[in-house]
Amino acid sequence: MRLWRHLPLSLRLPLLAAAMMVLVGVVASQQVLRALTRVQDARVRELAQMHVEGLSVALGPLVLRRDIWEIYDTLDRASKGSEGQRMVLTVVADETGHVLAATDPRKVPVDSLISDLARGAAAPGDLTVGSSSPILRLGAPLVYQGRTVGTIVSELDVSDLIAERRHALVILVVGNALATLVLAVAGYVVLRRMLRPLSAIATQMADTSGRPHPIPQAEIPEGDDELTRLAQTYNAMTAAIAAKAEAERRLAERERFVALGRLSSSLAHEINNPLGGLLNATDTIRSFPDRPEIVLQSAELLDRGLRHLRDVVRVTLDHNRVDHGGRNLLPEDFEDLRALIQPEIARLQQRLDWSASIPAAGVAVAAGPVRQIVLNLILNASAAAGQGGHVGMSASVDSKGLDIEITDTGPGMSPSALDRLLTDAPLAPGGGVGLRLARELAMRLGGRILHERREGVTRIRLHVELGGQAADAA
Amino acid sequence: MDETFTRRRVLGAAVAALVVSPVRPARAAGIFRLGLTPVFLDNDAAVIDGLRLALSRLMGREIELVQRRTYEEVTGLLLEGALDAAWLCGYPYLQHASALELVAVPVWRGRSLYQSYLIAGADDPAAGLPDLRGALHAFSDPDSNSGYLVTVTDLRRMGERVETFFARAIFTYGHRNVVRAVANGLTRSGSVDGYVWEALAKIEPSLTERTRVIARSEWLGFPPICARAGSAGAEPVEALRKALLTMAETPEGQRALSALQLDGFEPADPSLFDGIAARMADLER
Repeated sequence: MRLWRHLPLSLRLPLLAAAMMVLVGVVASQQVLRALTRVQDARVRELAQMHVEGLSVALGPLVLRRDIWEIYDTLDRASKGSEGQRMVLTVVADETGHVLAATDPRKVPVDSLISDLARGAAAPGDLTVGSSSPILRLGAPLVYQGRTVGTIVSELDVSDLIAERRHALVILVVGNALATLVLAVAGYVVLRRMLRPLSAIATQMADTSGRPHPIPQAEIPEGDDELTRLAQTYNAMTAAIAAKAEAERRLAERERFVALGRLSSSLAHEINNPLGGLLNATDTIRSFPDRPEIVLQSAELLDRGLRHLRDVVRVTLDHNRVDHGGRNLLPEDFEDLRALIQPEIARLQQRLDWSASIPAAGVAVAAGPVRQIVLNLILNASAAAGQGGHVGMSASVDSKGLDIEITDTGPGMSPSALDRLLTDAPLAPGGGVGLRLARELAMRLGGRILHERREGVTRIRLHVELGGQAADAA
Repeated sequence: MDETFTRRRVLGAAVAALVVSPVRPARAAGIFRLGLTPVFLDNDAAVIDGLRLALSRLMGREIELVQRRTYEEVTGLLLEGALDAAWLCGYPYLQHASALELVAVPVWRGRSLYQSYLIAGADDPAAGLPDLRGALHAFSDPDSNSGYLVTVTDLRRMGERVETFFARAIFTYGHRNVVRAVANGLTRSGSVDGYVWEALAKIEPSLTERTRVIARSEWLGFPPICARAGSAGAEPVEALRKALLTMAETPEGQRALSALQLDGFEPADPSLFDGIAARMADLER
């Protein structure tokens, strides 16, 4: 069975066809032989019936007179006829069971008892040509003018009928075997030809190093049958996949620009805020160069402002670092994220609940993807929560893995947004790709994203098992 | 289907012929009716036709050869006048000697004599009649000399009777049938006309080879051609007598005689049958 499953379709179908042929052949042969048996039985029974009737008519008065010679003479002459070839022995006895005459008197002498012969003899209507014995024994009462005057026992040679049946069997077996062989080979060739496009598609699909390749036009069969359409559909599909990949790449690019734009505006805001203070400080230093306490105060103010700017620049650089996989997740990553999101939270006058219980030594999860996922989810939550809403982020690590939960008090996610976040359903045009990007990154980490909406709060939970993501993250 | 119907019809017809066996009471004028006892070749239409043709030529008139199953029937037909003459056996001739006259007697191997043969199966160890006690025996006809009388009188001379000596005796109503019965093993032994057995040995050796002659009788008078007393010497019996006596002189006659394996015919004297008469006397004692 396992071998069967491993056979190619182009071999299995012809084999199936051959098996069906064999089955049909066997059933048909069975029917033919059965019909032949019926015909032969009917023939033998009819012959036996006529034999008995004919002998009864001819021998009735002779048996009544016990005319041994005439009975013998009649049997002898009858056995010389063509029917005699079948009736190899006929014995006639009187009503007491004593033999009056037989076609072979040496074998069955006059006055011997017929009972031994009559045992096992079948009535004319019950004769059946079996395959075991070439001789059938027929027994019937000799009825003359309505009364039984004796007994007839005959032996029929049916070896020719058995030979005929055996001959028919051989012809059927050989014929069927040849027909099956020819049809199986023809079926194999034809099906193999018909299935070649299918094999080509299978080969192309198996050979996709990275992405599927179309079948060369020359290998697509002409016409408009299923296989042609299949090949064309397959080619169309490969083109669609290529187009989709390209579109996704472009979308991801755009999303990057969008995120970059948002970051840029936040960054400008972040830099702009201290900038006024810093300029003020320089003005103060310029105005009071001779007042050391004011200069010192201003210098400290400048120092704080510049450190803040330095931090902002570092976070931005970190976030945009190309290296996404190499480094483990550290508590500082969450500090960075908080710093990145802060300007947007402040702009929308939202409350941010932030809790990150991450060991100082870090967690064995790639930092880059986690940062991108959390940033996308928080930006999304912030946008959903709207002016004055609440946004929460909590991150924790336990033996089961890393758990990050982002909450917002927004109106809840739309079905299309949930599709993007929780399924692989095709992207509806118009929506962003941030959520889908978060999903794909989570998948690559071997993690999963869960959604829950309870008591007016939307909760998105990212769970990543520790140690399970190494291969995917690499 | 057809074959069986044909066979059935043939068998039916045979049975009808055996059972009914109508005898034509009056004879058509001009046709000479010659009765034949079941001689060895009575189953051979060519022999019968040859004989009829030869006699017809020689007598210058149409001949009808009449065959019956038993000697008794033929003898009866002759006696009642349904036949002009008949080829009988010496025994029925003697039984009705006062009513019959001899016309001619065949000559076989130079003499008008023949023997009765006692035959058994070729591989039968019997050396003579005494060895056949308890056997199933085939006679030809109860009115046949060679096929019945000889064996019966032999038994009588041994102090035996047919009914007790043989387990069963059957009549086959034909010398050839006696040979068939013995050859095919239906009976162990049989009494047969020696002329018939010898003739069969030439034309059907496969039949006689399966039998063996275990005893031969003395030479006895050959079955003669007889007519009713008083009809001999007058037409048409006289024409028959002349035809028989001159048969060997015509080509048709020679062919007919050759088929019958006879030399010819000669005038017969009643004393020819003294041997048979002696046996009949034995039987009556």
